[in-house]
Amino acid sequence: MKEFRFKLILIAAFVALSVYLLYPTYADYSFTNEIESELTSITDSIRASNPTISDAKLSQIIELKEDSIRISNPAIKNAREKRVKLGLDLQGGMYLVMEVNTAKLLENLVKNPDEDFMNLLKEAEEESRISEENVVSILASKIQAQGKRLSRYFGSIRDEDEDIIARLEEQESDAVTRAIEIINNRVNQYGVSEPNIQKQGARRIIVELPGIAKEEEAKRLLQGSALLEFKLTKEPDFAIPIMNRIDEILAGKTGEEADSLNTQDSADVADMTEEEFAKEHPFYSIALVSTNYPYPLVKENDRDKIMSYLSRPEVMNVIPDNVEFLFGAKPAITQDNENYFALYLVNKEAELTGGVITDAQANIDPQTTQAIVYMYMDSEGAREWSRITGANIGKNCAIVLDGAVYSAPRINTKIPNGSSVIEGMEDLNEAKLLEIVLKAGALPAPVDIIEERTVGPSLGQDSINQGFNSTLIGFILVAIFMIFYYRRAGTVADLALFFTIIFIMGILAGFQATLTLPGIAGIILTIGMAVDANVIIYERIREEIATGKTIKAAIESGYTNSYSAIFDSNITTFFTGIILYQFGSGPVQGFALTLMIGIVCSLFSAFVVTRVAIEMMTAKGIKLNIG
Amino acid sequence: MRLFENLNIDFLSKRKFAYIFSGTLLVLGLISIVLRGLELGIDFKGGSEIALKFENPISISEVRDELNQIGLGNIEVKTFGGETGILIRTELQTIPENVFGRVTSAIEKHIEEVFPGIQKNIVEKTNDAITYQFESDSITKELSTELFKVGLQTSSLQDNKLLVRVGVADWIEEVLREKIADNRFVVQKADNVGPKIGGELKRDSIIAVALALIVILVYLGFRFKFAFALGAVIALFHDVMITLGLFSLLYGIIPGLNLEISISVVAAFLTLVGYSINDTVIIFDRVRENMKIHKTAPIEQNINSAINKTMPRTIITSLTTLFVVAVLLIFGGEVLRGFAFALVFGIFIGTYSTVFVASPFVLEYARRFKKKLEF
Repeated sequence: MKEFRFKLILIAAFVALSVYLLYPTYADYSFTNEIESELTSITDSIRASNPTISDAKLSQIIELKEDSIRISNPAIKNAREKRVKLGLDLQGGMYLVMEVNTAKLLENLVKNPDEDFMNLLKEAEEESRISEENVVSILASKIQAQGKRLSRYFGSIRDEDEDIIARLEEQESDAVTRAIEIINNRVNQYGVSEPNIQKQGARRIIVELPGIAKEEEAKRLLQGSALLEFKLTKEPDFAIPIMNRIDEILAGKTGEEADSLNTQDSADVADMTEEEFAKEHPFYSIALVSTNYPYPLVKENDRDKIMSYLSRPEVMNVIPDNVEFLFGAKPAITQDNENYFALYLVNKEAELTGGVITDAQANIDPQTTQAIVYMYMDSEGAREWSRITGANIGKNCAIVLDGAVYSAPRINTKIPNGSSVIEGMEDLNEAKLLEIVLKAGALPAPVDIIEERTVGPSLGQDSINQGFNSTLIGFILVAIFMIFYYRRAGTVADLALFFTIIFIMGILAGFQATLTLPGIAGIILTIGMAVDANVIIYERIREEIATGKTIKAAIESGYTNSYSAIFDSNITTFFTGIILYQFGSGPVQGFALTLMIGIVCSLFSAFVVTRVAIEMMTAKGIKLNIG
Repeated sequence: MRLFENLNIDFLSKRKFAYIFSGTLLVLGLISIVLRGLELGIDFKGGSEIALKFENPISISEVRDELNQIGLGNIEVKTFGGETGILIRTELQTIPENVFGRVTSAIEKHIEEVFPGIQKNIVEKTNDAITYQFESDSITKELSTELFKVGLQTSSLQDNKLLVRVGVADWIEEVLREKIADNRFVVQKADNVGPKIGGELKRDSIIAVALALIVILVYLGFRFKFAFALGAVIALFHDVMITLGLFSLLYGIIPGLNLEISISVVAAFLTLVGYSINDTVIIFDRVRENMKIHKTAPIEQNINSAINKTMPRTIITSLTTLFVVAVLLIFGGEVLRGFAFALVFGIFIGTYSTVFVASPFVLEYARRFKKKLEF
């Protein structure tokens, strides 16, 4: 048995690893079932106690409840993170390809456009649809073909054509970066789980939003120009009494009672357990006030809860009409792997909107080596800005993009000419982000949706069920056939096939790869083709036996002689898998991936798993029956 | 159990029949591709496609009648997974100008319902969106929510502006929601592919299939001899062309079978290439082995013996693969049907081409160039 020990340990290790990697997927599945049944009973009880409740209201309550269940148990969160990722076609969601509309951008950038230019632009736009070249270079060559210089329309008169082209292309890529930040910002606020937003090539953005049930809502996230506003933040001595009132109301205390209890409370705080504190101070238990940060901090997962608190009518009553609470766009601090977001109280009315900003630039201050951002405004904006800054020296002014606060710098002096310097960024990257944000509201370069695929959750679930059933039926059919045809050796091949599927799934989970519907098809196909290696080997062994060899020798030479055929054929298939992966998009890549993983796993199963099993059987004197 | 053991059939001598058979299929397919064309899905053509699931069974012809009156030209309506599901497709990406008026009045009707007699201003009109301007921010916000509830996509902008987006799919949904009010539906799937993307996907797919053939040619040329590599690739090309021809011949003929060329069908073609080459390599491997052992034997004999010896494996692997692909075709759902069909047919044609196209080619090549192939 010694000769098999290494291989057996190897196999056991792989199986154990795969099972270990797959466990979270199983755990996630059973957690989801548990949560679902819990939610159903909650829904029923709410309906029973309040039959007139509207569907929208109910689903909002249920969603909140689900979030709080998921957050309360770290095991649930952990399982969700480590499970086999499902593609958009299986879990439902939205896939979008967006492209910056360069023609519109050029139209906005051009100075003194004549009819000629507009015609050329139109032609260039048409041509770019079918051409590899981009609009900028097509337009440039068209203008040059007319014997004109680009400086006639862009830049200043002394600029060389190449410089202008380079600058226009930079503007184009700037527009993409800005659009990505705007989308990121909206998606983060909306709370989409596992969004994927990435740049593709020079002008495209790919957005993947899993699990968005209502496509319209998703599109709302992406459409419309961004709104950049400057809003004055409220001082703590204004904000704290309001938050105290909110806290009291949420704890269920009436006005007078609360006042009398208030002083007493603060003395007792130290003696309270965490739960008591949460009960007494529902607001402050999740909006954490500390001495070293000017604004309350809220954990990432608690933001929804705060928002729902703030939207209760009795709470809205105590918030003055002219102010509102806004969250920071990025975590203010990160501690113990937990992101904390600042909660700002700001004036509802914006002092200025981003339309007045003409330019912004991130830089390093040569004197202090600190990261800073220069911000420039047009004359009208500068006049307003001078008045605003003059009247509010010492106060903070929040820079708000689509309702999220990116920064709240202090106004140090009156800024008369519209060119401001913003300080206090951690590093140049943070400054660059602020630069993007400041420009977001300024220059409209529309981003068009050029491809859009939405899968509803019900179709996704259907696909999962159909995929699962097909895999099961396919496996059973092949397994029965193999036993029927190869008898005991067939059983061994079936065992190997079973391991192959476990390995494939384990690898998918381990590498955090995404399983798509075509990916499931790839696994099903692998089931059919994985036995091929075993079939080749078994047929060869039969042939070798027919030439009069002993069983042991026949097995030996059967494996040796099949090796080249199996190797060559699988390598070529693997190549097509690679090509498919390179050229395919989302779902098709999933197919290519499982096909390639399937090839590797089935080779391992054929050459290691079945071989050990068969050799062990013959060594132990069990008669190998290959039908 | 043993099947096809100790076969001794002179496959090569029957190659002339195979040439006629393959030739006929190829010519028929090509004629059909030229005359009938291929039914390209929106992946390649560009267009909009939505799958709806109704609460109750829905009549396709009713939906078709309603949709033919909305001015979007030819709209395809098919069943999609059972009698409550339909698939609607149009090549249009944007609503034609002459229909836009009807769309506008539909939107304005909704606005009237919320705020009767309200002052509104159309600020901008593009081919898929209208921007209104209203008196106050609160009106804009309220309308944004209300219009959104009836299924329109809205976003409120600066200066009390409200952008209402209406794509082709939105317009179709809007019409059906109104016309077939007693049978509510949910959107199962909605795809919208721009013509540019469609063109790119088409180009990428052709490159992918061509590249796969080239890579296989190079690899097999390296592992075997050029004659074998060329034979294998010609067989693969033969498989792809005949399957493509079949897609052209049969689309629209078998009810319930959706034979349009989509991205997943291209994936199936590449898989078919992978499967067919598997088969070919295994026979060639045996030919190579035979040629090493029986150096003096005529090549026909080596090839024939290789085909005969590997026949049990060829049949059994084809069977197991056929099992699972048939399962996919039957149980895999609407989305994978075209994919599964391409593979079912591909398994037959792939197995056939190995024996009757790839192997005879090697023989013909050796004879034509009077070349002695050896390893």
